Amino acid sequence: MSSLSSSVIDYKTLVQDDRIHASLYTDPRIFDDEMERIFRRGWVFIGHDSEVPGAGDFVTRRMGTEPVIMVRGADGVIAVLVNRCMHRGTMVCSADRGHARSLTCPYHGWTYDLSGTLLGVPYPGGYAGFDKGAHGLARAPRVSSYRGFVFASLSPTGAPLSEHLGTATKLIDRSCDLSPVGEVELTAGWVKHRCAANWKALPENDSDGYHLGFVHRALFSTVRTQYQRVVGDEKAIKAVVRDWGNGHMEIDWSPGYQGPFEWLGSASGLAVAEFTAALERRDGPEVTRRRIMEGPAHALIFPNLFLGETNIAIVEPLTVEECVHWHTPMFLKGVPAFNSRLLRMAEAGMGPASFLMPEDLTVAARNQLGLHARTAAWLELGRGLNRERIDSEGRTVSHVTDETTNRALWKHYRAVMTEA
Amino acid sequence: MLSDNDYRAVVEFIYREARLADEARYAEWLALWTDDAVYWVPATTDSGADPDKHISHIYDNRGRLETRIKMLQSGYRYSQEPASLMRRIVSNIEVAAADDELVAESNFALAELSIQAKHEMHWWVGRTTHRLRRVDGELRMCRKKVVLVNAAEPLPNLSFLI
Repeated sequence: MSSLSSSVIDYKTLVQDDRIHASLYTDPRIFDDEMERIFRRGWVFIGHDSEVPGAGDFVTRRMGTEPVIMVRGADGVIAVLVNRCMHRGTMVCSADRGHARSLTCPYHGWTYDLSGTLLGVPYPGGYAGFDKGAHGLARAPRVSSYRGFVFASLSPTGAPLSEHLGTATKLIDRSCDLSPVGEVELTAGWVKHRCAANWKALPENDSDGYHLGFVHRALFSTVRTQYQRVVGDEKAIKAVVRDWGNGHMEIDWSPGYQGPFEWLGSASGLAVAEFTAALERRDGPEVTRRRIMEGPAHALIFPNLFLGETNIAIVEPLTVEECVHWHTPMFLKGVPAFNSRLLRMAEAGMGPASFLMPEDLTVAARNQLGLHARTAAWLELGRGLNRERIDSEGRTVSHVTDETTNRALWKHYRAVMTEA
Repeated sequence: MLSDNDYRAVVEFIYREARLADEARYAEWLALWTDDAVYWVPATTDSGADPDKHISHIYDNRGRLETRIKMLQSGYRYSQEPASLMRRIVSNIEVAAADDELVAESNFALAELSIQAKHEMHWWVGRTTHRLRRVDGELRMCRKKVVLVNAAEPLPNLSFLI
């Protein structure tokens, strides 16, 4: 059991219902606590089925700060192995992705199979009574997936993935069901964007509907986008934010949409018509109409998966003051021509050279600098408490500019960080 | 066959393009492009990657390039407000003639002082391919591809002109 500093850090005081303390973004002890409680014990998004389609395909990722390999075994089952040789601690695999029949450590040639079992060590005469079975690669004891999204936990016990996701599976459904065969594919590669801020700034900003007209003014003053409907008269804005529980939350733009494909820049043309026809063959005109009006989810699955409309993004913590935002276009299986549009959308919206994220990450970095001030040490979290409401499914809903999403994150965070 | 005049014109074009980018002279830089512009910064160093299948950092046609420039000129592109201070060294220029175009390959090293949040020096290094064509007697870029040595690694903001 690793040691935790929870005994000295009073999360109930630092995380209040309407304000949070700046040290949550700057204290390295808190970062260490988060890596243990959120990124080791909890469920963490690792990657997608489609990234490792065949036996032996692997990608390397990190669960918090733990290096891991997501690999499809000879039996077709995905394992999440800790990327560290059991001999002397060397990282076994340094490529971002690849294909292997076995995994061999470069240092002394210890070789493991795709499920992490130690196959052999060179010059075994140097060991008396060596138990290979006790020297396999460590692996995430729990790996589970939902519609191809693979999650893992480094704790053998705890609530199952289904309990962690709760009803937020509907958010994943909303995105996956846009594919005529019900599957998304993450095959375009990832762009990784460095952010000089604490990792929590990313889920907070990705679910913040208040900043758009200010941070993204350069884009809105240049071209028309789907986000225009959340800029302007406060009372005329129809989009909402919603708390799905367990730290999952969303911005739902769809109440403000007036036509189909506003989420795709009101796209039209042959690829779009063929896409609509393919959906209609499966769902009929009425359900299809709803799907192309609403578009994909804009939602955070706690702690590190961002369903960023036509993108999938990952939040990767590095240190208390630095993180990386990964993204890839969410390709819809069965409509390749349509995916070309999604690819160009992904380049416009996210990544270091895009038209949105550079501003977000500049502001996040300025936030991180400002948070080092201690004369004023609290961050406001109360926007919208005066008007949020509970909907028929028990979720808290409010005006898109309200901090309902931030509160959803912090409420769950406090629960996780103070769990016995 | 490449003439000495063509070679010199290409080298001068590349140096000028670099200087306009360094100095955030957006309108003059945009004027260097043809209407069928393709401005491409792949997100991988795999030279076989297809920009219609693999994501890029930038894959601008003329319309998107104009949006990029208008945003930089708006005064609200906070990731470049104020503009980074930059100087790039362009070298190892090799030029070849291809039909009615001139193709130049070169290396660059760019020092960027990012001053929009924390003041930090960033190093950008890569290889550029320019495709140039004469329009009304003047050389123009129809294609610029920039392959960063760290294209697939986590990058800081790249909203200036690379």
